Amino acid sequence: MITVACYNLKGGVGKTATAVNLSYLAALGGAGTLVWDLDPQGAASFYYRIKPRVKGGSPGLFRRKRKLAAAIKATDFPRLDLVPADFSYRNMDLLLERQRKPGTRIRKLLKSVRGQYQYLFLDCPPGISLLSENIFAAADVLLVPVIPTTLSLRTLEQVLAFCAGEDYRHLRVVPFFSMVDRRKSLHREMIAQRSGALEQALATCIPYASEVEQMGVHRAPLETYAHASPAAGAYRELWAELQRRSAAR
Amino acid sequence: MQKASIYPLGGAQRLRHWRDRLSAQAGLTADPLEQVQITYYDSFDGRLYAAGYSLEQTHTAAGAELRLLRDSGRQLQAALAAALPVSGFPADLPPGELRRRLEKLLDMRALLPVATLQVRRYPLRGVDDEGKTRVRLQVESVGLLDGGGKPRMLQKRLLLQPLRGYAKSARRLAAGLARDFALETATDDLYALALAATGKRPGEDSGKLDIQLQGDMRADAAARHIAARLFATLQANEAGALDGLDSEFLHDFRVAVRRTRSLLDELKHVFPASLRQRFTAEFAWLGNLTGTLRDLDVYLLKFASYRAVLPSELRPALEPLRTFLLYKQQQERVERLTVALQGKRYHKLKQRWQRYLDAPLAKRPVARDALKRIDRVAHRRTWRTYKRILAAGQAINADSPPGELHALRKACKKLRYLMEFFQSLYPPEQIQVAIKALKQLQDNLGDFQDLEVQVVSLRRFAMEMRRRGEYSAATGEAMAVLLETLETRRHQARDRFAARFKRFARAQNQAAFKRLFRPAGGAKTS
Repeated sequence: MITVACYNLKGGVGKTATAVNLSYLAALGGAGTLVWDLDPQGAASFYYRIKPRVKGGSPGLFRRKRKLAAAIKATDFPRLDLVPADFSYRNMDLLLERQRKPGTRIRKLLKSVRGQYQYLFLDCPPGISLLSENIFAAADVLLVPVIPTTLSLRTLEQVLAFCAGEDYRHLRVVPFFSMVDRRKSLHREMIAQRSGALEQALATCIPYASEVEQMGVHRAPLETYAHASPAAGAYRELWAELQRRSAAR
Repeated sequence: MQKASIYPLGGAQRLRHWRDRLSAQAGLTADPLEQVQITYYDSFDGRLYAAGYSLEQTHTAAGAELRLLRDSGRQLQAALAAALPVSGFPADLPPGELRRRLEKLLDMRALLPVATLQVRRYPLRGVDDEGKTRVRLQVESVGLLDGGGKPRMLQKRLLLQPLRGYAKSARRLAAGLARDFALETATDDLYALALAATGKRPGEDSGKLDIQLQGDMRADAAARHIAARLFATLQANEAGALDGLDSEFLHDFRVAVRRTRSLLDELKHVFPASLRQRFTAEFAWLGNLTGTLRDLDVYLLKFASYRAVLPSELRPALEPLRTFLLYKQQQERVERLTVALQGKRYHKLKQRWQRYLDAPLAKRPVARDALKRIDRVAHRRTWRTYKRILAAGQAINADSPPGELHALRKACKKLRYLMEFFQSLYPPEQIQVAIKALKQLQDNLGDFQDLEVQVVSLRRFAMEMRRRGEYSAATGEAMAVLLETLETRRHQARDRFAARFKRFARAQNQAAFKRLFRPAGGAKTS
């Protein structure tokens, strides 16, 4: 199982849209795929029309090993399942702190579903916390959507500095440009330059597009209602590029 | 995927009737009719089936999809939104998981259709207030397309598919259905349904050798039984060999020919002499006829490995060789194989051989050993051949000419065939150990000779290519590097022989062979 965490320290950069659209494409391509909506806002669950509720909340998940498997719900799409968000996830850090080896609890929890899926997508809440550390420890790929602005570049550098530690050597940080508005000169320049931390960024850029915003209205992955749109094409390309890059590893 | 429940639908009512009734009764949302055509594929010898896999190609309005499944169709292994290439070779699929898995499972074999189903279904869904599907029900009919225009109806049924995390919704619907329909524990595996309807297992017709003999059978009856099995294999592979669907049809065809020749030769005194003479010549003709084509098949199978020995900048220069091999292959198939297999001589050979196999056993056979017990004959022949191999192998040293190794290889093949013909007369584990020991020696001898033949042939091809003007300086260089590598490997195989033979001839193996085949009392053998 390859674990892809859609993560950024900064909020509102397109993490959930990435997790939802890429997980759909992974399942469409034939891979058994699981999404775990770790954000208490529950946007990924909402897009997949699944009620943001886990029996027993996050404390329940940590109490026994099999609890994660029991929380899995089928989406409306073949081969694609989801662990819904729960409002109790907002206190995840407190809960993690009380566990033994608090930095790798999530990784341990994932063991029970390892054989069942080819891909796991984690839709992560913004911020850098104990939960984020758990995500870095559990993920193989940290997929970081970056809006091409100076501030976003700064946060990316913060993330990279944090992940440079000994414990996260297995982790591959993969930034890509998200919510790109080609009318803005700053966006164009930053993409052209790819300076510093952005050198590693994927070639594919996800445009800022109203079709993506409409995911909230359709409550479905972009591919299902706007297949022909440039944004849907960009997600397909992003997924293909990401797969090529993991294969090249 | 979770296990589906199936409720057969009796009566003549149309699917639409059930759809309307169920959607009204259970408050389900009905989706438009789906028509799916599912074709199952496997290699001629059923490799996927034997390994517990199934490969299905579904055709819907949305297009074609290929899916590799396990566990009676419940576990999806890999999928691809594409149709199978016309060649039937996984290597011609776009790269990815499905191709990788299939190439590994099938090796050089092509995929052929096993059965085709036509499924008509009305999907029904139970939806919650978020617009989320919580349970799926299908009203469907399954028909088998077996050549005729209209499908043969196999089953009309309801299929309740529980969704992960929504068990309660499925239970509730199932409780409602239980009042009106009888639940059948029948399989939801459509492939099993299709196979049961056709009455065939994949690979069943490929003519795999499985000979069951009793020790006290008359030798001529046993020999004839073996010959009949070999003849069935030969005929089963004939059409595929002619069409060149994949290389293994011709290969298995040839093995059946060679085994038949071996049988006639080794059980000399079991067959009438006149018959033996006539058919030995005829089967030899068939073997020689197909030899060149088989060699070309092998070179093409090995082509990727030929490329791999070259430095990457030289690899494109080897392409003319592939083109040349393909051209020769086509030429051999059309001008020799097809002409021969559609000709009079082959037709007569088959007819006469069949007549002999069908004829009643002679009451007073002329052949000396015809009335002996088969187990005695088997022990004696196998033991003699084994001893001959031991003596010949021990006489080979580092300076022996290649011809001696070739002769030994032939003898080993004969021994192998004998052991396989008579396998059922011996304790399975013991005979397997002996076969395995022999196989290791055969692999080494095979490598040596194959490499030698390859070197000679490739040299000849190079000359021919040069004559035809398909030979650039770069191609010449690529061929030279390739030949050098093959030469080195040939020497390596030759150097390994001594150790391999020593291993084959070690005391432990000798004792095993002795236990199995040495005639009772250890008496002198004739």
